[in-house]
Amino acid sequence: MATLTLGKALNEGLRKALEDDPKVLIMGEDVGRLGGVFRVTDGLQKDFGEDRVIDTPLAESGIVGTAVGLAIRGFRPVCEIQFDGFVFPAFDQIVSQVAKMHYRSAGHVKLPITIRIPFGGGIGAVEHHSESPESYFCHTPGLKVVACSNPLDAYWMVQQAVASDDPVVFFEPKRRYWDKADVDAAAGAPRSLWQANVARTGSTATLITYGPSVKTCLEAANAAESDGHDLEVVDLRALSPIDWDTVIASVQKTGRAIVVAETPVYASLAAEVAARITERCFYTLEAPVLRVCGFSTPYPTSRIEEDYLPDLDRILDAVDRSLAF
Amino acid sequence: MAVQSVQPSEGPELVQLLTPEGERVEHPDYTLELSVDQYRELYRDLVMVRRIDTEATALQRQGELGLWASLLGQEAAQVGAGRALQSQDFAFPTYREHGVAYCKGVDPVTLLGLFRGVNQGGWNPYDKGFQLYTIVIGSQTLHATGYAMGLQRDGSDGAVMAFFGDGASSQGDVNEAFVWSSVFQAPVVFFCQNNQWAISEPLERQSRIPLYQRAQGFGFPGVRVDGNDVLAVLAVARDALTRAREGSGPTLIEAFTYRMGPHTTSDDPTRYRLAAELETWKLKDPIERMKAYLSRGGMADGDFFAQIDGEADALAAHIREGCLTLPDPDPISLFDHVYAGGSSLLDEEREQLASYLSSFEEAVH
Amino acid sequence: MPTFKDFKLPDLGEGLTEGEILKWLVQPGDDVKLNQPIVEVETAKAAVEIPSPYAGIVSALHHSEGDTVDVGSPIITFDVDPSGTATDAGIAAPAQTKVAAQADMVPQVPHEPGMIGSPAPKAGSEEKIEVLVGSGPKSGKLTRRPRKVAAVEPAASEPAAGAAPKPQPARVSAAGVGARAAALATEVHVLAKPPVRKLARDLGVDLRVISGTGPSGTITRADVESAADGGAPEPVAAAPRRAVDFDPATREQRIPIKGVRKMMASAMVDSAFTAPHVTIFTTVDVTPMMELVERLRGTKDFADVRVSPLLIVAKALLLAVRRNPLINSTWDDAAQEIVVKDYVNLGIAAATPRGLIVPNIKDVDALTLPELAGELQQLVATARDGRTAPADMQGGTITITNVGVFGVDNGTPILNPGESAILCFGAVRDMPWVHEGQIAVRKVTQLSLSFDHRIVDGQLGSQFIADVAALMADPTLFLAWS
Repeated sequence: MATLTLGKALNEGLRKALEDDPKVLIMGEDVGRLGGVFRVTDGLQKDFGEDRVIDTPLAESGIVGTAVGLAIRGFRPVCEIQFDGFVFPAFDQIVSQVAKMHYRSAGHVKLPITIRIPFGGGIGAVEHHSESPESYFCHTPGLKVVACSNPLDAYWMVQQAVASDDPVVFFEPKRRYWDKADVDAAAGAPRSLWQANVARTGSTATLITYGPSVKTCLEAANAAESDGHDLEVVDLRALSPIDWDTVIASVQKTGRAIVVAETPVYASLAAEVAARITERCFYTLEAPVLRVCGFSTPYPTSRIEEDYLPDLDRILDAVDRSLAF
Repeated sequence: MAVQSVQPSEGPELVQLLTPEGERVEHPDYTLELSVDQYRELYRDLVMVRRIDTEATALQRQGELGLWASLLGQEAAQVGAGRALQSQDFAFPTYREHGVAYCKGVDPVTLLGLFRGVNQGGWNPYDKGFQLYTIVIGSQTLHATGYAMGLQRDGSDGAVMAFFGDGASSQGDVNEAFVWSSVFQAPVVFFCQNNQWAISEPLERQSRIPLYQRAQGFGFPGVRVDGNDVLAVLAVARDALTRAREGSGPTLIEAFTYRMGPHTTSDDPTRYRLAAELETWKLKDPIERMKAYLSRGGMADGDFFAQIDGEADALAAHIREGCLTLPDPDPISLFDHVYAGGSSLLDEEREQLASYLSSFEEAVH
Repeated sequence: MPTFKDFKLPDLGEGLTEGEILKWLVQPGDDVKLNQPIVEVETAKAAVEIPSPYAGIVSALHHSEGDTVDVGSPIITFDVDPSGTATDAGIAAPAQTKVAAQADMVPQVPHEPGMIGSPAPKAGSEEKIEVLVGSGPKSGKLTRRPRKVAAVEPAASEPAAGAAPKPQPARVSAAGVGARAAALATEVHVLAKPPVRKLARDLGVDLRVISGTGPSGTITRADVESAADGGAPEPVAAAPRRAVDFDPATREQRIPIKGVRKMMASAMVDSAFTAPHVTIFTTVDVTPMMELVERLRGTKDFADVRVSPLLIVAKALLLAVRRNPLINSTWDDAAQEIVVKDYVNLGIAAATPRGLIVPNIKDVDALTLPELAGELQQLVATARDGRTAPADMQGGTITITNVGVFGVDNGTPILNPGESAILCFGAVRDMPWVHEGQIAVRKVTQLSLSFDHRIVDGQLGSQFIADVAALMADPTLFLAWS
């Protein structure tokens, strides 16, 4: 048992993955000597060498494109995209090549690539450093998409993602990198990578969320107790495919669902969650599924980002609106 | 500033071992000594590859293929490169490398599924070291580079050849592949078939300098070879692959050739290029010069050529038969192989489609 | 035997729909090798030579040079086994074909109807056109493919939810359906959340007759449960004997006007202020009718149903309607027409726990007496259970109100909206009555008839009520007038 930050838990998880499988490689910008801009890969190049922890040229398409070749050769590359807003130069390789290779090859070519992306806002950053592009990747068949929210999940999920024979886009909540929690490495993974986690049980309404917003939702649920509301919080963890059984069971219990995410709301993953709940829980819905997300704007400047991000008050405002039905 | 012409100059810049007239010439840097049988085999390859192409083109015209990308005119470039590759080497093609596929031992019928619409390639690249076709221009050069980096890490003596065209040379991925392979000294050969036309755009729309010269800026050698001279291509490709195996890093080969046909069967080259240009290149035909070389050197006679034509006819019949009997996929198979590890979402959708299809009185197909 | 093969114009370039025949490179009768160029075709993208897909003799060309041909149309036919013998005498020899070809390039070679010598089917027609492989924008279907019976079931999206109730087969006349549709079109959408709708469906409660007590008038779960239990949402309906919840301060109770009460009030006001009502009365000795009721109760045909005086009244009304058809009609103000109906949907005013409703029995004149008895019994029971379907309350043509069950002698009923007469049947009492010249104790009742004086005049109204009374007084007239 150790108390780890989320970033350190990822570091420990990656270290374990490198130890467990000699085919695992880490590649990205500044991942070696520097240990990554968030220090997630700190010390790994020193221990595993430059051939396994590779400082790459500054070219995201190159990172992912060469990872495809390495994977065809039998390696398990873990690519780090330095910030969410920098993934788009690699977008073509991800959606046209990574996502489709197994399909096009009728299963002959597996691409067990993990693409790590720190995502989300709330750190006072300049533009392109606070985005939530997960919906693009969830929309792409052939990719699997996950987001961790806490140190324990970070430690296990990154190992599970690396072990997956499918490409996984792995979103890390960058403003939670320094959150601490106990991680018991000896206890084993608490659940499959594809299972959602009911982070808090409740009966009044269900908050469905992932990544950095999980903590916000838990805080909102605690605050809602004084209003007499007993909120359930479901941490999706897997964004594609989603563990619908857990989501549906929760909404059928509470009859109310609010989806919380930083992603721009329009045509987002939150929209898919809302649509699916409406299909599957129509007769148990006491209120329409509400969404508390980023607005449909570019990510704003940091001085006003708090007004853009779903926070405790906006979440509880949505709870009130849901309960008003 | 004077801009150097992108057209081939004579002399050492263009590596040539066999003239368009079929005369064997020497080059200071590249030599090739083959047995008579090996020369005859190269001729045979050229004829077979052309026949694959003409039969597939005919099948498209007859409605049996939705599309075909013809390699007509590029047989020597592909056979030269393909025969330089060894069994442990891996090729990363575009969608036009039917000749390389043939040299790697891939049954031409295998290539037709993609163009007939019964699969999206679907062959096992590991069987022959021949990756799936890549249609998005230039993407495969990064895959080739990554694979080469994998060879380095495995300590393999294999090498990789990345195929692309003059149009792809403008792509960011190709330039990133140059950077990466150079930085990591990856055992990859970039084989650019400069066939002068990127659909309708001439080379002048891609480059102000000869393409092979780009390599220098990335820190590795580039060489221009007569792409219609199978002997020169073979020699240059072997040399570059040897460099790669020895750990000397990448090489860019610009095989200077010409796309005699349309870009694909959907294209009409008469809209953008002159017939005279085509006529000029007909005089440089890769098969005719090899045939002349064999005849003049007494290495082959009419019987041999007739025998090769007969083999080509048999191959064409095999292709036609194979094409017409490619099975249509089961509709429900559209969910197959999206993921290696399955997906609960697709399980649900598969079940929905199966149930929907079974709800009709008559089956769809 | 000769084996003919058609070659259809393929899509030559990813999504093309047609091509123009530029030049034929072969003629009927030519011996063609596989892949020999046969025709030059120009498409929107390029001019191309098409190599022959067959080796054989050209037996027909189907289009002239210059023709624009749809992708998928046959353009040439080959005999791929010319040494065989024809089994069909109608198959033309190549020579003949050639003559025809010289004439207009479109030879009339009758071998496969519709394939040669006749225009190729156009895309989008019923016949399936093979556009060959990977080719051609696929023309959309214009008709649905037949599904297996019951292929589409209500989405079982929520396994926990109960099975959807099966729709009740309703005996509804065409006119009734129309009336219902019209009525639905003017109805306000009910406000209820999905789980409340599900509950209502499971409990057989019609949300349209419930007034919601939730926010913005939404129907709550409690509203539905109350309705299912017998109408608590309308506390006044059975109010007189219930404890009334007075406000101690005002010593008043304010009862929301809603639901069945509201509907009834609205209907009555509409009727009272639209149709000029006239009510006429008559008193009848129904002793023979009551004896008839007793005798019917003893017969086997009525063993399973309740025989009431109302049954005979209803039957009498039906016979009287037949004798006075105008009584069974509607004033169509919009069309400025009186609509006389050849069918009778007989309404029975019913006191229910939720208030007064008037369900009707459709096409009641087609029923036998036992059937009518059964329907009456069913109607009353359904109404008392609060389960009367809205369709059963629409499309009535004439109504009986039986105030006798409350011990009342008679009244002046208000017309059910859209109808032109309502018969009121009072209590049957033992009364002194002059019978065959003597004072006798007889079974006596009062009838009254309210009618719409726009349609029915005093004479017709009187004739009608007199006919009903006569039948009740002397049931042998049923035989005489039938």
